Amino acid sequence: MSAFTALASLRAVLRHPWQIALSILGIALGVAVVVGIDLAAASSLRGFRMAGEALGGRATHAVRAASGDLPAELFARLERAFPALSMAPVVEFPALIEHGPAADGPRATATVFGIDVFSEGRLRPWLGEAVRAPGSVTRWELVHAPGTGYLSADLARRLGCEAGGTLTLRVEGRRSQVRVLGLIEGGDGDARTALADLLVVDVATAQELSARPERLTRIDLRIEDERDAQAALLAQALPPGVSLETAALRRGGLERLTEAFQLNLRALSMLALLVGVFLVYNTMTFSVVQRRPLIAGLRTLGVTRGEIFRVVAGEALWLGVLGTALGLVLGTQLAGVLLGLVTRTMNDLYFVVTVRELHVDWALLGRGAALGIGATLAGAVAPALEATRERPRLALNASTLESGWRAWLSRLCWLGGLSLALSAALLLVPSRGIVQPFLGLLFLVLGAGLLTPLCASGLARAAAPLLGGTLGMFGRHAARGIHAHLSRTAVAIAALAVAISATIGMGVMISSFRSTFVRWLELAIEADVYCSAPTLVSSHNESTLDPETLDRLRFAPGVEDWTSYRGFETRLVSPGDPPAPIGGQVGGQDAAQVPGSTGETEGAGGAVLTREEQRIHGAAITLNERRRNSFDFLDAEGDEIWPRFETEDALIVSEAFAHHRGVHRDGRIELETDRGPRNFQVLGTFRDFTSDSGVVLLSRGTYERNFDDRGVTSVELFAAPGASVDRLVEELRAVVPADQLVLIRSNRALRESSIAVFDRTFAITGVLRLLATLVAFVGTLSALLSLEMERAREIGVLRAQGVTPAEVRRLVVTETGLVGLIAGLIAIPLGVAIALVLALVINKRSFGWSVDLEFDLGLFLSALGLACTAALLAGLVPAWRMSRTPPALALRGE
Amino acid sequence: MNMNRRGVLALPWLAALCTALPVVLWLAPRERRAEAPRGVLADHWDAPTVLRAEGAGEDGFLKVEAPREFSFPEDHGAHDGFRVEWWYFTGNLESPEGRRFGYQLTFFRSALGPGMPQRSGSFAANHAWMAHFTVSDVSGGLFHDFERFGREAADLAGVTPGARRLWLKDWSCEFDAAGEQVQLSAGEAGVEIRLRLTAHRPPVLQGDGGLSRKNAGVGNASYYYSVPRLSTEGTVVQGGRRFQVSGDSWLDREWSSGGLAPEQVGWDWFALQLDDGSDLMWYCLRRADGTTDPFNGGSLALGDGSVRRLSAGELTLEVDEHWLSPRSQVHYPSRWRLRGQGLELLVTPALADQELAGTFRYWEGAVDVRGSRDGRSVGGRGYVELVGYALDGATGSVRGLTRKP
Repeated sequence: MSAFTALASLRAVLRHPWQIALSILGIALGVAVVVGIDLAAASSLRGFRMAGEALGGRATHAVRAASGDLPAELFARLERAFPALSMAPVVEFPALIEHGPAADGPRATATVFGIDVFSEGRLRPWLGEAVRAPGSVTRWELVHAPGTGYLSADLARRLGCEAGGTLTLRVEGRRSQVRVLGLIEGGDGDARTALADLLVVDVATAQELSARPERLTRIDLRIEDERDAQAALLAQALPPGVSLETAALRRGGLERLTEAFQLNLRALSMLALLVGVFLVYNTMTFSVVQRRPLIAGLRTLGVTRGEIFRVVAGEALWLGVLGTALGLVLGTQLAGVLLGLVTRTMNDLYFVVTVRELHVDWALLGRGAALGIGATLAGAVAPALEATRERPRLALNASTLESGWRAWLSRLCWLGGLSLALSAALLLVPSRGIVQPFLGLLFLVLGAGLLTPLCASGLARAAAPLLGGTLGMFGRHAARGIHAHLSRTAVAIAALAVAISATIGMGVMISSFRSTFVRWLELAIEADVYCSAPTLVSSHNESTLDPETLDRLRFAPGVEDWTSYRGFETRLVSPGDPPAPIGGQVGGQDAAQVPGSTGETEGAGGAVLTREEQRIHGAAITLNERRRNSFDFLDAEGDEIWPRFETEDALIVSEAFAHHRGVHRDGRIELETDRGPRNFQVLGTFRDFTSDSGVVLLSRGTYERNFDDRGVTSVELFAAPGASVDRLVEELRAVVPADQLVLIRSNRALRESSIAVFDRTFAITGVLRLLATLVAFVGTLSALLSLEMERAREIGVLRAQGVTPAEVRRLVVTETGLVGLIAGLIAIPLGVAIALVLALVINKRSFGWSVDLEFDLGLFLSALGLACTAALLAGLVPAWRMSRTPPALALRGE
Repeated sequence: MNMNRRGVLALPWLAALCTALPVVLWLAPRERRAEAPRGVLADHWDAPTVLRAEGAGEDGFLKVEAPREFSFPEDHGAHDGFRVEWWYFTGNLESPEGRRFGYQLTFFRSALGPGMPQRSGSFAANHAWMAHFTVSDVSGGLFHDFERFGREAADLAGVTPGARRLWLKDWSCEFDAAGEQVQLSAGEAGVEIRLRLTAHRPPVLQGDGGLSRKNAGVGNASYYYSVPRLSTEGTVVQGGRRFQVSGDSWLDREWSSGGLAPEQVGWDWFALQLDDGSDLMWYCLRRADGTTDPFNGGSLALGDGSVRRLSAGELTLEVDEHWLSPRSQVHYPSRWRLRGQGLELLVTPALADQELAGTFRYWEGAVDVRGSRDGRSVGGRGYVELVGYALDGATGSVRGLTRKP
């Protein structure tokens, strides 16, 4: 770029600082949303991974049981049989920690980590280095004194607890005291995150705190060489129901769990960026149109087309760089805000992880930067090409552009149609991955955007007589103005429509999902009172109730009948195909659908290793007539199922499970049990929203035939007819011993808390919706600004003809209001389409939940209102400015 | 009457050693054979405390104050209520083709507290165990040493009632019903022993009828007996080969709650089996100022079953030579002359390098003996232990340590 052209470019920019600022803001917001979401999700996942890695230490493998925990004596047996392997017993569980006497005092969730110092040496060196204790603590207190531990310094600070203090721990409904011997001071960043929520205790103390005195959570092992014969021997020596798995595999599996969730967020955030691209396009087009005489003049002076292209592209690049840089800064700030929401959702759905520190991942920022600048350049290509088409010496006016642009209209429509067809193909061809439907969604939005000019033109023309009838000449003029300046109005409309449709789509999806969920709750929550041990992860509860407390509850006066529930975890032996909620596979070839095509083969010792994705959640239930009626079967009748459910080795699966594992009624699945792998017949599929990975239900009898565990996670109590449920709840609370913590909730309270969890899960989506609307507003403002400024001359003519400033204001406001209305009208069908895709395709494929769509008129009206309001607000400034433009000034060039 | 030796010194030191080991191991892990570990220990458990079990007395542990009746085989078993107790097997073995080995297998049991409240966790323990296992391949010039730790819970380590069997992981020692035969079994990394030991003489009660006083402090003593000569048969696996071996072993047993005097920094201990049938035990306490402690002592068990107690000053110990450990740069004595009570003995290590380089560093190895008793020429073999030369290593720096430049 020569100094001359650069100067011309700079002057143009300085002449319209607001225009430029809005474009930069638009790009910045788009980039900020993408980067913010990405950073927040990555940080929470990273926190989880760091904690896992630090706690796993140098262990390469772990011995685990299908049914959750191991018999403690297995450790001594393995140690004697394999003395050469470093191994360490671990008891690990989440707990709620309180400090201080006040009931509402500080509290936090923490991981209680029970270790054997005699076995730790080569596995977790960091732990020892991090421990700080006052001199009064003797070296054996941790092992010898029951109820003692080392607390992470971060947690201690938050709880206001010091070495020597006493904490109250709540584990599965029991309260216990733990004396803090000393603090664990993590070093820097990563180690600190990992240690942030840790209470290290002796393994025996952990056994006692979790009320599993004879059990271990796992045995960590270090096997230096995968091919070591020891590993294979050890795997063979394990009792039924116990297996050896690699540490990396388990962590990877948990990460895969959340991948669908993250991809969903990322795709939604992309919508915001898409709106940003529209903005860039708009700004660049505007600047080209503004400078037509200049460009023509430059061409006359011998400036080549290539140079013109480079000038425009260069400007776009600057916009992109500035906007992206601002976006990265904003995004980092936004991520801090979003982090809590993302973490909360992950805690509700997947696992307990507390992350307070945002980890700024440079690769991620780099990706955001590339995306922002790339999108800006992509948005500028068309205007830049436009500029090169200027012929020298022909100072064209905007109308030439408009006529040229309208010639493009048919081509745009073709492209739009093609895009929609592609989208339909992507959405209709079945696949289990969700990348494909997201691409489909992208093409849907793109197609709609390309068709917007046609629709807008049609709608404006249709509105002209209508407006003319009501508002007279100015109404007609406003409608025609939109048609006449289609190159810019269409872009403004498209930007607004896309943003509003995203709002509608997400809104419809969430409200449909919510009402489906509420209806399901009505059906599923059949009993009157629910008693369970408190748990930290809402979606799967495996805490058990104390047997004595259980009896007190079951046989309390006023309780007519009861049923029980036992959540457990085990491994799916077959069918061997892993779940495919997430995947890199685009198009119809989904390798994961082929049984046996295992994505994971770790080293040569493949036979030894199990795959984390085979870990599933199950529950053992007892039933009565009312409870049976609470099941909504999708493919069978309850009458056929129940007799066989009680007596045979059979089970029922939730919809999500059936979807992810590809199992159906009359199929068979093989589960790892305490008796070794066992075959179960699938009797039916029922609707269930408790877990997105799905759950299998066994009758209590079947469970006890196959597993040794006799625990109960929760009981559902049925009140005697006519009794007050609220009073029963009060009475039941009184029978629970003081040291036991049992959540006793009426059906109403349970319903409410379930809905609260649901709402929390979707809070982040609500925030995204808001952000999309914000970007749309900026987009509309920018588009209308450029449009109206460009019309200064036209307004000048009107003013010269005697039109008053007030009339000019009315004209401009009517026009922008119409822009909003048209955008809103286009947004409604597009929003419905997005909702359909989100609810029926993406949601179904990523979570396996089917949702009954319902459309709320109020939602559409408010979207329409939003569009008009945004447009009107955006039109205020131009209206004010134009009405004040002296006609002589505007007309000077004529 | 004899004065005790190792009990006095070894007891508190090893008590501390034993209890501190796992902590050190945990707090400051390192590669095997790497330099001594350092960690939090240095900041919060200062070396003197670690070295000296926190003095006997108002801590709830039983104290060693008066002589007691010993009864076998029961006393081969564990004695609850004391802070620390050990079973110390050493021996010299030889294969029919003349390949010579030495071995050491030691179990230490250390109380974490004077008692334990009722607890439900299956890993809840009141005792920690440590074991050391070495094999000296004298002919091959190789020395192997291993260490283990564990808690007395969940079947990981312990001693069965009646003392028939004690174990830590897969290392074990099992007495027969009469307490006259012992099976030893230990192995790691391709080095292994399976030995059957048979006692031909009754145990020798060291010190004052088994009460071995370590210093003037009340309760700073141990109960201490030895079985100085156990004929031994079995196998040694080393370097991929299995050797049938036979020879003589020595068992030292001691339990106590006492502590080490601040000025006592280490000791040299000798267990020598002479070919005239007599067995000599002698220990020499070293003080921080380099002088010899008055509580030295030992015993001479004669072939006819009689035992002569040796008091401080009855034997003199002279060091002829030193050996510099290439790993730790610690100088250990490596040639001694023992004189007195008709004995004139020259003791030399069968292998120079028999330094245990585990969490705690000390030298314990097979030795040869030449010389005379009452004018008659004698030879023999035995074991020597040198403790406190490497104190600046594993356990923090101890000032005034006697050390060759």
